[in-house]
Amino acid sequence: MRSEVVQTMAHPPAGSLFPALMVSGMNWTMDRTPDPRQDIQAVTGLLDRVSSGDRDALADLYDRTSAKLFGICLRILSSESDAEDALQEVYVTVWRKADRFDSGKASPITWLSVLARNKAIDRLRRRRVTAASLDEASEVADDAPSAFDIVQQGIETQRLAGCLDELDAKPRAMIRAAFVEGATYSELATRESVPLGTMKSWIRRALLRLRGCLER
Amino acid sequence: MTGSKPSPDDPDRLAAEFALGVLEGDELAEARRLDGSDPEFRAEVARWSGRLAPMLDDVAPVQPPDSAWSGIETRIAPSATVHSLTRRLRLWKGMTAGVSALAAALALFLLVPRPQQQPLPPAPAPMVAMLGDAQAPAKMFAAWDPRTSQLTIMSGAAQATPPSRSHELWVIPADGKPRSLGVMPSGKTIRIRIIQPMVSQLAKGVTLAVSVEPAGGSPTGAPTGPVIASGTLESA
Repeated sequence: MRSEVVQTMAHPPAGSLFPALMVSGMNWTMDRTPDPRQDIQAVTGLLDRVSSGDRDALADLYDRTSAKLFGICLRILSSESDAEDALQEVYVTVWRKADRFDSGKASPITWLSVLARNKAIDRLRRRRVTAASLDEASEVADDAPSAFDIVQQGIETQRLAGCLDELDAKPRAMIRAAFVEGATYSELATRESVPLGTMKSWIRRALLRLRGCLER
Repeated sequence: MTGSKPSPDDPDRLAAEFALGVLEGDELAEARRLDGSDPEFRAEVARWSGRLAPMLDDVAPVQPPDSAWSGIETRIAPSATVHSLTRRLRLWKGMTAGVSALAAALALFLLVPRPQQQPLPPAPAPMVAMLGDAQAPAKMFAAWDPRTSQLTIMSGAAQATPPSRSHELWVIPADGKPRSLGVMPSGKTIRIRIIQPMVSQLAKGVTLAVSVEPAGGSPTGAPTGPVIASGTLESA
């Protein structure tokens, strides 16, 4: 009985319990590694070990990837404590769902980045929901089945950047604001002071052009 | 594969919008429904996520706060808390020298009758608890003196509270429902005067726990944040 209670209280601590571990173990390999392919291999290997329940592997994975993923969460949520909560959700989810990663379909870093982006956006949306329906929202907004099935088809940063560049400046900015900052149709419409319908057709056209370009 | 017809009613359109994250209301609900029920739709969402994902490459990395990892560890190992409780009870008899001395001193302090004390029938016995977590079973030492209704908490080191957060002390009696004993002031030695009805909650075997809460304490009356230390109240 007692242990049960302690468990329900065991949310992410904000106290710093392992400062030494974190400082010494931290590196931003994802961004600084001289050979990205080697890093992809290493992270793939770690995800594989995590999927078999290896806690040390999760710690290593965290050391390698948390700065990147925290950057994404922070970009979307703007608040450090919210971003920290989202980051924790990301790794707890990775712990449970690492087996859903398919190295044949996407790079592990892309997979993790999209996961972080989705978690942060879920949190962003939840933040906007009124307190009354908070519980409901947190249940609904969790992990769509597609959340773990990222398929990359060899689309690399430069290729997408090139295709985004082919769009007009405004739709390009809208697409970025939606994906990287979590803006919805109505928020984008408000931001640009255009009717909702106009925004929808801008985005839809931009998405079609984007796909056309990427499939060329 | 994805069709190439750029008609506005492209069935893949919704998948693209869903992956992009722009949908709201009914359209969002419909996309979620399809995502759960239609493998083709789900596959298209996955392809779109892959197409859009490289935009995240540009986001600059930021080192997360040190506290982030400990929260993850706590959450992936909920059973560790149970183990640590058991372990702490064992440790009770074989604590590290420093903390033992601290405990002994405090026990002595509790057991020495104070002159201002009125001669009452046998007073309830003082109790002590070691508060910690799986990694550090002896973070704090709590002593409850029912005669003075004073709870004294000593920490090996001052417990750092992040800005805009408070440490809140809880008692968890046999019914399992945490009750607040108040927000803890900072410092290595803290004395809290406990008033009724909380005095009667401080019985042998109850759990004391310290959680991290928004500044000023839990807004809900129940713990909302992580527990940084907990332990069982035992006879001194």
